[in-house]
Amino acid sequence: MAPPPLVRTRPAEVAAVDLAVCDRCGLCLPLCPPEAIHLDFQDLLIDRHTCTGCRKCIAPCPVGALAMVANA
Amino acid sequence: MPDYDVLVVGAGPAGSVAAAEAKRAAPELDVLLIERDPFVGTPVRCAEGVGDPGLREFADPDGAPWASRKITRVIILAPDDTEVKVAWPDVAWILDRTRFDAALAAQAAAEGVAVHVATEAVGMDRTADGRWAMRLRTSGGEETVRARVVIGADGVETMVGRWAGLDTRVPARDMESCAQYVLDGIDFDPDAIYLQFGDHIAPGGYAWLFPKSERSANVGLGIVALKSDGRNAREYLDEWIARRYAGGARTGYTVGGVIVHHTLKRTHTDGVMICGDAAHMVNPLSGGGIVNAMKSGRLAGRAAAAAIRAGDTSEARLASYHQAWMDLLGEAHVKYYRIKQALADLDDAFFNRLARTVNGIPSHKRTLGRVFAHALVRHPQLIPVAARFFV
Repeated sequence: MAPPPLVRTRPAEVAAVDLAVCDRCGLCLPLCPPEAIHLDFQDLLIDRHTCTGCRKCIAPCPVGALAMVANA
Repeated sequence: MPDYDVLVVGAGPAGSVAAAEAKRAAPELDVLLIERDPFVGTPVRCAEGVGDPGLREFADPDGAPWASRKITRVIILAPDDTEVKVAWPDVAWILDRTRFDAALAAQAAAEGVAVHVATEAVGMDRTADGRWAMRLRTSGGEETVRARVVIGADGVETMVGRWAGLDTRVPARDMESCAQYVLDGIDFDPDAIYLQFGDHIAPGGYAWLFPKSERSANVGLGIVALKSDGRNAREYLDEWIARRYAGGARTGYTVGGVIVHHTLKRTHTDGVMICGDAAHMVNPLSGGGIVNAMKSGRLAGRAAAAAIRAGDTSEARLASYHQAWMDLLGEAHVKYYRIKQALADLDDAFFNRLARTVNGIPSHKRTLGRVFAHALVRHPQLIPVAARFFV
């Protein structure tokens, strides 16, 4: 078995939230494997350096506020 | 730095009960209950249904201003709209959560708990003397308070659990994505709750109508996104309402997540306990969590008081909280979770046939036990589901 990579590959796309659509319900927080999503008083924040681009948060959002964006 | 014995994060049912119970069990303790939102009980992210016996352990619903509606029947709709009426073994209630949560917080305050609203926990660190320092943000700026025990009652999005190093993550198959409207001016039986199942209606969950008055109700649904046809919860709900309750005025709207898993492997660590939705204590079959939240809050509040009095708030000491919860309901939830998984293998055609079988039983004889026995005989596909209950 190959050893685990020492450097994490930078994902081509990461999750981003449209705060105009987001209801701040917090549903996506426990779905995020690297715990990259935070609720910060009024805003939902996604740490793009922690996000692995796994997409697990995208479909469950009840209002469709999350989408993948290019990891510029 | 202000010092407290117990700091409870989140003034929902779990947090208010936890704070009140800690203070009642040990009146000499300083207990602080904080709530992020400016009003306890808002916004409501809940269908507001609760069973009578569990509710009565904590509050008397008869004539209470926070009890919207008494429920005596449940009407289950099969995927093909076949109606099945089942007598409810106990009465149920539809709450007004805004008033209910405020009443619970007021009860905590009456016990002597300090209640601070519009106060958000933004992070916590262990201090050298083994307490927790919690950073709080208010409209007036930031401050740090110190506590011997922190109780995280901060819901689905729990940050307290994360900060304490507990694994609060959940697989996507065990997350119900929910949307709900308050609909006014629609027709239904105001003494009944309605539940409808079906892969094209609410895949992996169900749609509900919970009456709030004679002509107004919480109408919502939950789906497992992995089973969705690409639509989100709100889009499924809009279609269901267009089909069944097209004339209703939408006077309220909410969304949220319900974790239908079983209890976290660890709900505690040194000086920290988490309870209610934060600890995944929702009934994984029904999605109900209000009474469970209050029951776990009561256990956590009492455990905190006893631990502080004993001068030992270590993980080993607080393990009694986790064990008490597992004995009370946590182990049962593991069984319910297995049943939920087994039911997920059955398709709409099966549930349509099952509904007709049940309707073949005279309504006055339609108890849950008899429905179950009939169903097992006529539908052998259910035997593996029943078997899961006993393993």
